[in-house]
Amino acid sequence: MRAALGALLALSLALGFDGPAAAQTRLDVSWPTNVGPLNPHRYTPNQMFAQAMVYEPLVRYQTDGSIAPWLAESWDISEDRRTYTFHLREDVRFSNGEPFDAAAVVANFDAILANPAPHAWLELTHQIDRVRALDEATVELTLQAPYYPLLQDLTLPRPFRFVAPSQLTDDASGGIRAPIGTGAWVLDETRLGEFDRFKRNDSYWGTAPAFEEVDVHVIADPNTRAIALQTGDIDLIYGSQGLISPDTFERLADSGRYTTALSEPMETLMLAMNSQRGATADLAVRQAINHAVDKASIAESVFYGTQQVADTLFAPGVPYADVGLTPYAFNPERAAELLDEAGWRLDRGVRMKDGEPLQIDLVFVGNDAVSKSTAEIIQAELSALGMMVRLIGEEESSVYARQRDGRFGMIFNRTWGAPFDPHAFISAMRAPAHADYQAQLGLADKPDIDALIGDILASTDETQRQALYETLLTRLHEAAVYLPLTYSNVLAVASPKVGEIHFGAMASEIPFDQFTPEAER
Amino acid sequence: MAGFILKRLLLLPLLLLAASIIIFLLLRLGPSDPAMDYLRLSQVPPTPQALEHARAALGLDQPLITQYVQWLSSALRLDFGVSYATQRPVFEDMLHFLPATLELAGVALVLTLLVSIPLGRWAARHHHRAPDIVVRLIAFFGVSMPNFWLGFLLVLLFSVTLGWLPPMGRGGVAHLVLPAVAISLMSLSINARLLRASMLEVGGQRHVQYARLRGLGEREVERRHVLRNALLPIITATGMHVGELIGGTLIIESIFGWPGIGRYAVSAIFNRDYPVIQCFTLLMVTIFVVCNLIVDIVYAAADPRIRISREGVQ
Repeated sequence: MRAALGALLALSLALGFDGPAAAQTRLDVSWPTNVGPLNPHRYTPNQMFAQAMVYEPLVRYQTDGSIAPWLAESWDISEDRRTYTFHLREDVRFSNGEPFDAAAVVANFDAILANPAPHAWLELTHQIDRVRALDEATVELTLQAPYYPLLQDLTLPRPFRFVAPSQLTDDASGGIRAPIGTGAWVLDETRLGEFDRFKRNDSYWGTAPAFEEVDVHVIADPNTRAIALQTGDIDLIYGSQGLISPDTFERLADSGRYTTALSEPMETLMLAMNSQRGATADLAVRQAINHAVDKASIAESVFYGTQQVADTLFAPGVPYADVGLTPYAFNPERAAELLDEAGWRLDRGVRMKDGEPLQIDLVFVGNDAVSKSTAEIIQAELSALGMMVRLIGEEESSVYARQRDGRFGMIFNRTWGAPFDPHAFISAMRAPAHADYQAQLGLADKPDIDALIGDILASTDETQRQALYETLLTRLHEAAVYLPLTYSNVLAVASPKVGEIHFGAMASEIPFDQFTPEAER
Repeated sequence: MAGFILKRLLLLPLLLLAASIIIFLLLRLGPSDPAMDYLRLSQVPPTPQALEHARAALGLDQPLITQYVQWLSSALRLDFGVSYATQRPVFEDMLHFLPATLELAGVALVLTLLVSIPLGRWAARHHHRAPDIVVRLIAFFGVSMPNFWLGFLLVLLFSVTLGWLPPMGRGGVAHLVLPAVAISLMSLSINARLLRASMLEVGGQRHVQYARLRGLGEREVERRHVLRNALLPIITATGMHVGELIGGTLIIESIFGWPGIGRYAVSAIFNRDYPVIQCFTLLMVTIFVVCNLIVDIVYAAADPRIRISREGVQ
């Protein structure tokens, strides 16, 4: 038997390894699922980072929040801010050799707008009146009304990116034949449940990536992903919360064998507080909660210091968001004072008012360990002040349903990150399906807030827009309908084979084209 | 014998029908709304219009009985619908992932039998001596240790520390070793202990003592008179192990990044991807029922007493 086992082991060793493959030219990464058929105009199951590898936008979002030329090398905006004229680069071809020109742009816009239902969430799709080609390299986009975030919306990984017109199917389904884009990468092979292989686009108009190939292995489990990095099966873990747990990140960073990096804040994790139901309908309670929670301890104990404490709905680095708000400092005494003043009196450990106990339902996704730990810390801190928190951990769709119809006292929520923050996020505050709408519904001036948001989106003057944002963000901050917790960022861990780590301007894209093998640096 | 098999085969559709009703009802009785899950997985904001649209498109606005009949009639044509999460046909993907799972479970089954039978024999032969104690210890740990925990420990030792075997993926024989060991250790332990006990029991019986009296060598007695009779309970146990092994792939495939139906099903369960869960559960029921049928047939073939009593001759 020993001999048989020995032989089995020898055989497995002989068959198992790929050997030291061309590691210099291939980057092995992982993702929880396959990347999908890569239709640039579709959502699930297409993965955004992969859509962004193959397809490119007219204009590109920069880390500082500004908009840079990309497939369009310049643009003019009409006096009335309703007509945008884009001048396209003339040296761009799709990876199958087709020219990228005005006709291709119009064909893609037509395909998107012919099937508007999936894009209803995106304000721009409601605003576009007409897209037409003026000549081979000029496209004119006309809006129904001024809409300042037009350029921001065009930077999104989907839907306003461009597939070769020959690949658009003529039927109403809006499908594509093959994923042919203009981007730095070409989808070479997909094996369901195993991997997706991208090859460098050798006819790429821009700077060619240093790696020849990116293999995206399907690994669903975060622990397995970390192990695959440790055994050299993958070279890079890059992504937000969930791809790698904060404690694993810390462990890999401490081992000293990997390059680790954290991006700038990408989005805000917060609780939305319901201003129309239960105890949180009272402004004093909402303000007290803002003073009562020690966010620094959450950032330290739950996120292992990988995330920064958030004091405002948007990080100050978000466009228009640096409006000098005064944070609600961690100050349990002040919280107790506020509650006392508002008539919430301590009675055997629980605060009461008009015979009602101060009790709040905190809703989170039950199998999300990070939300659960955070919720428990908040529960403990509020209970120390006599505020009872009932933890409601449910499955995702139930939580989703609650945020939609407002059945929550407090609920976990996130901003959407660049390029959506702040404009698309505030735009959605007006839609009943969002937790923000429900949370704000109890505010006496909710109609004014919604009107203000409309004014911001239609504003044409930069100074005026900044002033309107200041009014809105100040109003929401004072109404304390949010408990900002942390600014989350993108985490990256790389093996020493990979050179410096680069972060994209948007959390949804991975700048593989900027990564280099260590030897080449 | 043929009548026995026929009778069992006729029972199969009835069992599957009953299972399909239970699966369908259990999923619908849960707290969550499939239309909401569909929108969430499709990344469409759940506006009232979108929900209404999804309900109509998925047939969720129909009475439950109509929904069931529609699902069943499609299922009979092997059309299990489209996954909410991947937007791909469920049955097609199930067939794509099934071979990998069968490969893993098959290797694990062979491993179970190849290792457990010699272990059980070895323990029984050295009853109450060192080999027996070793086998009992292995079996004790094997039964107590959850397979995913064992999986991680194996990966830590053989992949991370020693670097001998790949930690994930499907490829050569090497890729099979760790997941197959992780899944099979429990079945293997149960089998080894079962065979040991069964051999000790048979070993004490009179026909065995008679064989010894006839002057047959100990090896000969063990092989011809003890082992053959002691293997009968192993046949029953093996039938159950097939189910255990395929069930074990649920978690093990996720841990080892094995592209099989187990991992596919686990992500569907996390996502509440109804069409996939329904198809997977029904497929599992079918596999269990068929395995039990095969076991019964093999058992009948192996044990003349059962075969003869079934054929009505006492």
